[in-house]
Amino acid sequence: MAKRSSADAIPQDIARLSFEDALAALEKIVRELEEGKVKLNDAIAAYERGAMLKRHCEAKLSEAKAKVDKIELGPQGTVRAAGADID
Amino acid sequence: MTTLIFTHPACVEHDPGASHPECPARLEAVLEALETEEFKDLEWREAPRAETGQLTRVHSKDHVDRVLSAVPKEGHYSLDPDTVLSPSSGEAALRAAGALCAAVDAVMAGEGRNAFCAVRPPGHHAEAARAMGFCLFNNVAVGALHARERHGLARVAVIDFDVHHGNGTQATFAQDSDLFYASTHQFPFYPGTGSADERGLGNVVNAPLAPNTGSAEFRQAMNDRILPALGDFAPDFTFISAGFDAHAADPLANLNFVEEDFAWATREIMDIAEASSKGRVVSTLEGGYDLGALASSAAAHVRALMSG
Repeated sequence: MAKRSSADAIPQDIARLSFEDALAALEKIVRELEEGKVKLNDAIAAYERGAMLKRHCEAKLSEAKAKVDKIELGPQGTVRAAGADID
Repeated sequence: MTTLIFTHPACVEHDPGASHPECPARLEAVLEALETEEFKDLEWREAPRAETGQLTRVHSKDHVDRVLSAVPKEGHYSLDPDTVLSPSSGEAALRAAGALCAAVDAVMAGEGRNAFCAVRPPGHHAEAARAMGFCLFNNVAVGALHARERHGLARVAVIDFDVHHGNGTQATFAQDSDLFYASTHQFPFYPGTGSADERGLGNVVNAPLAPNTGSAEFRQAMNDRILPALGDFAPDFTFISAGFDAHAADPLANLNFVEEDFAWATREIMDIAEASSKGRVVSTLEGGYDLGALASSAAAHVRALMSG
């Protein structure tokens, strides 16, 4: 039984999740760990899946932030996407 | 005076089944490490069976009867998805708890300076009326209450550095201010208990550690929180729940301790026991599931016990 490292690829079933679904799944795992609902034998798998979900959530947030960073607000309340030619 | 080792063949024979991490090879690895030339000064003792009256200081009589009567004549019987009995499990559980009581008696009689109980099944998850997390009887709690009842020791402490929180030991100790329980453990993790705000009557110290932390965080938790509280408690007898599954190589958890961390913690605990109670320490094996890391960590722990 080998521990997964944080550098491992995120499995497909997690990669397909939306931010909201991944966050909900992560919160469920944390809640189950805190409430003692996970077997001792399964606790590490639950933790590692939680860590993958957290990485996926963080990646989704970074993507969203990158998109937001590209949007510039003008002094007159105008909105433009940086780099987009709207003149 | 030397360090005593208490063990029994039944503790190797207890077998929760193929692919179960709490396997006979764990104890074989520990015993093999302690049978080398370096450890020739250890004095080996056979663990006796715990008496029912020793077990019922911690457990309900129903629990004791339920565990022992569930032991199968052949094959396996699961008390819960983690906790599985084989034909030798009842004998092993009695010898494991009995080891702690006998070790206390021997140390109190001056037959050894301290003692290590090389036993399975582990114990610290077992509650008054519930077997769980590979544990049947709470060996260390049975030993602690034996020390108090049999030897009239007022103040008894357990330090638990297994990677999992010792929910059973804490539950036994939390409402009795003459007992002290302190634990470092991965959190949140199995069994769910062990947050820093669980303090009992002020006699419980939980130092949860985040996943992927290691030596530095462990030593800081010990130095800042657990060792000062243990010193203030001034134990008459000190127990160690010595699980080695916080080791970096362990497959069941995500902390990164190394052998020297276990040795260091052992020496620190011994120093406090020396100051308050003539160095009276009994340690018992709890978890640890990487056979190599378990053997080398248990060796480092026992080497530290012998150094006192």
